[in-house]
Amino acid sequence: MKTLYEQNQSDVNEAKSGGRGALISTIKLRHCCLLRNRRCAAAYLYDRLLRIRALRWECGSVLPNALRFHMSAEEMEWFNHYKKSLATYMRSLGGDEGLDITQDMKPPKSLYIEVRCLKDYGEFEVDDGTSVLLKKNSQHFLPRWKCEQLIRQGVLEHVLS
Amino acid sequence: MFVSDFRKEFYEVVQSQRVLLFVAWDVDALCACKILQALFQCDHVQYTLIPVSGWQELETAFLEHKEQFRYFILINCGANVDLLDILQPDEDAIFFVCDTHRPVNVVNVYNDTQIKLLIKQDDDLEVPAYDDIFRDEQEDEAHSGNESDNGSEPSEKRTRLEEEIVEQTMKRRQRREWEARRRDILFDYEQYEYHGTSSAMVMFDLAWMMSKDLNDMLWWAIVGLTDQWVQDKITQMKYVTDIGVLQRHASRHNHRNEDEENALSVDCTRISFEYDLRLALYQHWSLHDSLCNTCYTAARFKLWSVHGQKRLQEFLADMGLPLKQVKQKFQSMDISLKENLREMIEESANKFGMKDMRVQTFSIHFGFKHKFLASDVVFATMSLMESPEKDGSGTDNFIQALDSLSRSNLDKLYHGLELAKKQLRATQQTIASCLCTNLVISQGPFLYCSLMEGTPDVVLFSKPASLSLLSRHLLKSFVCSTKNRRCKLLPLVMAAPLSMEQGTVTMVGIPPETDGSDRKNFFGRAFEKAAEGTNSRTLHNHFDLSVIELKAEDRSKFLDALVSLLS
Repeated sequence: MKTLYEQNQSDVNEAKSGGRGALISTIKLRHCCLLRNRRCAAAYLYDRLLRIRALRWECGSVLPNALRFHMSAEEMEWFNHYKKSLATYMRSLGGDEGLDITQDMKPPKSLYIEVRCLKDYGEFEVDDGTSVLLKKNSQHFLPRWKCEQLIRQGVLEHVLS
Repeated sequence: MFVSDFRKEFYEVVQSQRVLLFVAWDVDALCACKILQALFQCDHVQYTLIPVSGWQELETAFLEHKEQFRYFILINCGANVDLLDILQPDEDAIFFVCDTHRPVNVVNVYNDTQIKLLIKQDDDLEVPAYDDIFRDEQEDEAHSGNESDNGSEPSEKRTRLEEEIVEQTMKRRQRREWEARRRDILFDYEQYEYHGTSSAMVMFDLAWMMSKDLNDMLWWAIVGLTDQWVQDKITQMKYVTDIGVLQRHASRHNHRNEDEENALSVDCTRISFEYDLRLALYQHWSLHDSLCNTCYTAARFKLWSVHGQKRLQEFLADMGLPLKQVKQKFQSMDISLKENLREMIEESANKFGMKDMRVQTFSIHFGFKHKFLASDVVFATMSLMESPEKDGSGTDNFIQALDSLSRSNLDKLYHGLELAKKQLRATQQTIASCLCTNLVISQGPFLYCSLMEGTPDVVLFSKPASLSLLSRHLLKSFVCSTKNRRCKLLPLVMAAPLSMEQGTVTMVGIPPETDGSDRKNFFGRAFEKAAEGTNSRTLHNHFDLSVIELKAEDRSKFLDALVSLLS
């Protein structure tokens, strides 16, 4: 884009100073290209922002390092802003404690669900302080809210029977 | 110790806790596990389920999880060995063991605090009395302490000494006699392995006591019992008794079918008692295939010989069933032929010497076209569980098999049925080749057969349940085919290659095939002794002690030791 812009600029100067009116159409063409490229770039950046916003709903408030590596500093800043505004909104709902609306994306059917472990994950803490060892192909019956995060990450799989 | 009130001493104890379930790899354990899972899900008991295929897996899984749980439930594993010795648990760990393996180890029976056995005591257990086996060690030490006191006067001392010496020798002799008696009692008790009531039935009983039993749970109990019958683990009489028990439950849950006015819609689940044919998978296969691949008919007709094939044709002609009809899928057979099929087959079978063609069993109907006999489900689940896996750990198969027992996973069940057909065909072909090439040789006190590496489908027989089924069928066919009267009463030891890289074979020993056999198997102890005697590299990993893994090089010396042990 820069090359196009510089060429355009030199032509404009020439036209203004030297009076060569034939250059106007080239200038116009380059200007249209510049505008189009700018629109494409803006659409791409906007799409990235939408995906980053979806990441907050998918992965929670801490992003894995692999994803963070691919985001620019400004995008990180935007993400933090979004996180903050979402948190303020959530706190304002539901009384004193606020309501975590990122859980229960689908209406829940029961308090506890049966899950199956798809890969070796390691120890996982349960509410009463004890932990469960998640090994491949072991099945567990755990409270739903603890498992949702892991189900979204693909470590656990909800077993319907 | 034995738990007398399952509800109070077992269920209510674990209801508010998190438990760890260890489940062994057989269909009965899977069914018991499904029933227990259903109960736990109803009451929101948090549990973790770990499949274990042998003692080593049980130990490793226990070590990994023992910090996190206090209550452990073992299904179809752990009753026949000293659990505390093997697992070395903490003081406050409590084990609930629901196992069909007998004899129950005496330490498990008499431990009051940590081991609770979920086993009905009216199963003929014959546990030796406490005093015959355990003796208070402190009694002896107190007596020997008294003996070291000295008297005051020399003459008194001498008579005192003499008396003491006499006392000591008497005590030592008594102790030796007691120990000899103890060894005899324990040897008699632990000599034979057999199986008790199905764990699935025990769990169903628990559910019934709590009034939480459902038709689905009843079906799982039926499948568990049928698995024991298919694998010849229980006697015919016990099977019939248990079927009677389940029949009462079935009529209680499914009585609405008889009532004409309030009958359930056709596609609702219902379980019905059937006096149906003994042919494996016949409703999902063609009648001809089923007749050829069921052990009972194949052995009686001697289908490995040309003469046998002719007899089969005679049999079909006798009933008036055209070959074309019989060879197509059962569901597409003419309705007029299917109507009286069972009675026709029973009559003709009687003429050909097969008196027990029909057997008491149950079937389940749900949806408009899904109908399964209990034995169909048993074969399907067994094949799913023991299918040779291409990659991934063995527990994938376990999970598949567990899923196939739910009614919503019918595609897995049908897949299992296809695998079962393959397995049955392979079994019959292997038997035919073994008998035609005289691979079954008599070693003296037992028969021996070994499958070579290059035999087709040999990879299907490396797992214990498939190999046991193959050996039982082989023995039955051999008994029908041989003229040697002595050989008919011999037990069979069978070996199949397990892993090429490690050079191991799986070896299985099954008791002799007699009409009134009580299915007691002495090969567990025999294998142990033979292995010790010859220092063979064996792995007694399976919960059934009569199945071992052995290095191929040690095979001949192991067999020699076994021959000398048993003759």
